[in-house]
Amino acid sequence: MNSSYILRRVGYGLVLMLGVVVLNFLLIRLAPGDPAMVIAGEMGGATEEMLESIREEYGLNKPLVVQLGIYVGNVLQGNLGESFFFNQPVASLIAQRIGPTILLVITAQILSILIGVFLGVIAARKPNGVMSGFVSVFATIGYAVPVFWTGIMLIILFASVFPIFPVEGMQSVRLRGADVFTKTLDIAHHLILPAFTLAIIYLAQYARLSRASMLEVLGSDYIRTARAKGAAEKTVLFKHALRNAALPILTVAGLQFGNLISGALLVETVFNWPGMGRLAFDSILRRDYPTIMGVLFFASAMVVVANILTDISYRWADPRLRGKS
Amino acid sequence: MTDTPDYKAESPAREAWRMFRRNVPALVGVVILSFIVLATLYGTFFYAGDPYNVVWAPHERPGVTPEFPLGTDYLGRDILAGMLTGGGPTLAVGAAAAAITMVIGITLGSLAGFYGGWVDNLLMRITEFFQVLPALLFAMVLVTLFSPSLWTIAIAIGVVSWPQTARLTRAEFLRIKELEYVTAARAIGARNKRIIWKVILPNAMPPLIVSATLTIGIAILFEAGLSFLGLGDPNVMSWGLMIGANRDYILDAWWPVTFPGLAIFFTVFAVSLIGDGLNDAFNPKLRER
Amino acid sequence: MTALLDITDLKVTFNTRYGQVTALDGVSLHVNAGETLGVVGESGCGKSITALATMGLIPMPPGRIAGGSIRLAGEELVGASPARMRAMRGADIAMIFQEPMTSLNPVFTVGDQIAEAIMLHQKVSADRAFKDAVALLDRVGIPSPADRARDYPHQLSGGMRQRVMIAMAVSCRPKVLIADEPTTALDVTVQAQIFDLLNEIQRDFGAAIVLITHDMGAISEMADRVAVMYAGRIIEEATADDVLDFPQHPYARGLIDCIPALGREEHALKEIPGVVPPLHLLGAGCAFAERCEHANDRCRQEKPLLVNHDHHPAACHAVEEGRI
Ligand SMILES: Nc1ncnc2c1ncn2[C@@H]1O[C@H](COP(=O)(O)OP(=O)(O)O)[C@@H](O)[C@H]1O
Ligand SMILES: [Mg+2]
Repeated sequence: MNSSYILRRVGYGLVLMLGVVVLNFLLIRLAPGDPAMVIAGEMGGATEEMLESIREEYGLNKPLVVQLGIYVGNVLQGNLGESFFFNQPVASLIAQRIGPTILLVITAQILSILIGVFLGVIAARKPNGVMSGFVSVFATIGYAVPVFWTGIMLIILFASVFPIFPVEGMQSVRLRGADVFTKTLDIAHHLILPAFTLAIIYLAQYARLSRASMLEVLGSDYIRTARAKGAAEKTVLFKHALRNAALPILTVAGLQFGNLISGALLVETVFNWPGMGRLAFDSILRRDYPTIMGVLFFASAMVVVANILTDISYRWADPRLRGKS
Repeated sequence: MTDTPDYKAESPAREAWRMFRRNVPALVGVVILSFIVLATLYGTFFYAGDPYNVVWAPHERPGVTPEFPLGTDYLGRDILAGMLTGGGPTLAVGAAAAAITMVIGITLGSLAGFYGGWVDNLLMRITEFFQVLPALLFAMVLVTLFSPSLWTIAIAIGVVSWPQTARLTRAEFLRIKELEYVTAARAIGARNKRIIWKVILPNAMPPLIVSATLTIGIAILFEAGLSFLGLGDPNVMSWGLMIGANRDYILDAWWPVTFPGLAIFFTVFAVSLIGDGLNDAFNPKLRER
Repeated sequence: MTALLDITDLKVTFNTRYGQVTALDGVSLHVNAGETLGVVGESGCGKSITALATMGLIPMPPGRIAGGSIRLAGEELVGASPARMRAMRGADIAMIFQEPMTSLNPVFTVGDQIAEAIMLHQKVSADRAFKDAVALLDRVGIPSPADRARDYPHQLSGGMRQRVMIAMAVSCRPKVLIADEPTTALDVTVQAQIFDLLNEIQRDFGAAIVLITHDMGAISEMADRVAVMYAGRIIEEATADDVLDFPQHPYARGLIDCIPALGREEHALKEIPGVVPPLHLLGAGCAFAERCEHANDRCRQEKPLLVNHDHHPAACHAVEEGRI
């Protein structure tokens, strides 16, 4: 792998993040009302001295360009502002919340890709078979269900009918003093419903996409070559075809990441999952703008990182791109 | 293959319509969607009820009291009345947001695809930038900063959704602008504006129509999500809001959240059946596989 | 002596949107050990389908082997179990395809792809198989084979890729090697090299070759016998010299006339007027009648059978009646 490509890709990612910072700044300035008030948060009950100190800190009396410079400078130093509701720096608030979100999003992503691709491959073997019909119906349904509603339905189902999974939070209070192993199991147990709720939409889409992609690949000449060698059907399907069909799936997986984070926001709210989405929701109700902007910044950063990883793995997976810059 | 078509030549639109009419799932979608639209437009003529008024005891089960066929919510408000009034805003915002998405996406995408060069470069960088922002979160921020109303919600959804349309339009423009009839139009001295609007865009329409349909579905889901979070227009009843308002009581009563959710689901389901049907109708070759 | 590969009365149908069509209508062919059989005919005549049927690679559905038999060294392949077919494919019978550009898997190195073919049929270590693959690449004339084995298909030219395909096909010393238009997609200069290579390979490995081609020059150089196909049937079959010098069927005559003679200008090249009729439009008569200057009412109503004249069978009423 060509390291100058990676460097360039990371550099571009940093430029995009700078764009997010500028956007955050513009949003605060464009919002109706006194920007100091916006920063303090409307429900903060900000006093006049507080507002004055904010104006001082952000240079709100100076020209716009200077303000932008100050804002960007702050962010570069890791200072995303202060949450006036929590009385804490936004960066440390998010640091506490980002872990659960990453756990939820990555688990959902892995679940949906593994199950979705498997269903799609099975369906592609018989393009007019029962499984193919199931996949396309399931994909259309999965696409149309509001994710928060799926979550609610699952809560109703598992809280009252089959109480086998916890429906709220990430850890059981009674296990506070337990050992790491028990705690990990407990988190995994709590993770099942939210992760599955989030995965189900994307699972359906991956199933449909991998079916289409596999059908396309299965018609190609090199598949016939593999069969002509005497390769078993399983080898043809999972080695020769899937390695190629995976390329468009990988692209979509990268593009979906932003949507996955949006979905996580709703799922966290429904399941009281203590992540960034829950934080964003609470902060929006409190009009705690520095925190909201911080979440937007970090969520975008997650998308940027995911995109870089996708691009790099795509180049690794497709030898035709490896040498190129 | 060497086979020659044995049917007489048809205009592509007519052929697409002929294919669409034979597509059972798409017709099912049309029927479901028509029913939902008619119910939200005229339902209140047949079933007059105020969705905001407390009319009965809270959490009346559906099917128990004939006056309130779908039961009542945690305050004792009529759920069927909410369903009938709550669909309008959802559908309106969905349609408006899809229109905004298409206008932004088609404009930027066609400029990028047609002019290429630095215009393309600049517009594509902007598109990539917008794709980095998690759409729902960005929409939430926009709605809160600019105070929620049906219009701000529609605009916010449009602002976060256009990049895909722009990419699709650009790809179509890149493909079509190399085709012979575009070269021919240039050769007879047609202006760029004419080539974009009268020559390329009409030929790019089929995938864009499909995409517009699917965008309506996504926009409806967005609106529902925002309303569910309580970020919708606080003065307007909507399906998402009904679910959000009742979510603290789901373990006491399943119906106040289930029916509005089903309504959202069936609407988006119908729209995507229609979208798939249009897609198949425009690409009959794909179906033979 | 029984032939090594013996196809009799093979019938293959496809379900299409025009209903069921018959792509192969009673094809009979045989190849003896060490022999080269040339199969010629325009595009769409059923040459590839014949080859694929022999390999057990007809896509089913929509395809179906509706009748006939294919015997390899006496063993019946029609109706053989999938496991048995897999064991023979690549080992006893191998195929080289028309499209070297797309016939190799783009995400694996060519060395790995050859090694895979070896390991599918022989109990050898991955290391051993890769070394054998390198030796095979050397054998098919690829320079610095150890390096090329680590290349991906896109890094090689079309001619090189076809050599890789040949190396892969002969890796398990098959008894029968089917080459389906192996040079059609290649540059003229490369074409001759590939035919030379096939000749050498046959000498070294002793495989019988079924060579499907449009290239009459290659036929005259390589083929012992020639079968001419038209619209899913064999319409003429004889030794290569007989077919080239004394073609019987008007279609075969047309094909031979198309060969540019030495010194003649390229643009003077003759063509048979018309095209191969689509399968769903085939009628009761001779499929070539539409394009044939000798056709009469009988030709249009009754399918001619392959009739032996002086060890030179041809399926033509005009020939049978002595009209031509
Ligand atoms: N999958 C298929 N479905 C329907 N018809 C097919 C299929 N594959 C091949 N055919 C038909 O079979 C006939 C023979 O094809 P082929 O053997 O590929 O010809 P060629 O002699 O050029 O190799 C053609 O008319 C083709 O249209
Ligand atoms: Mg062929």
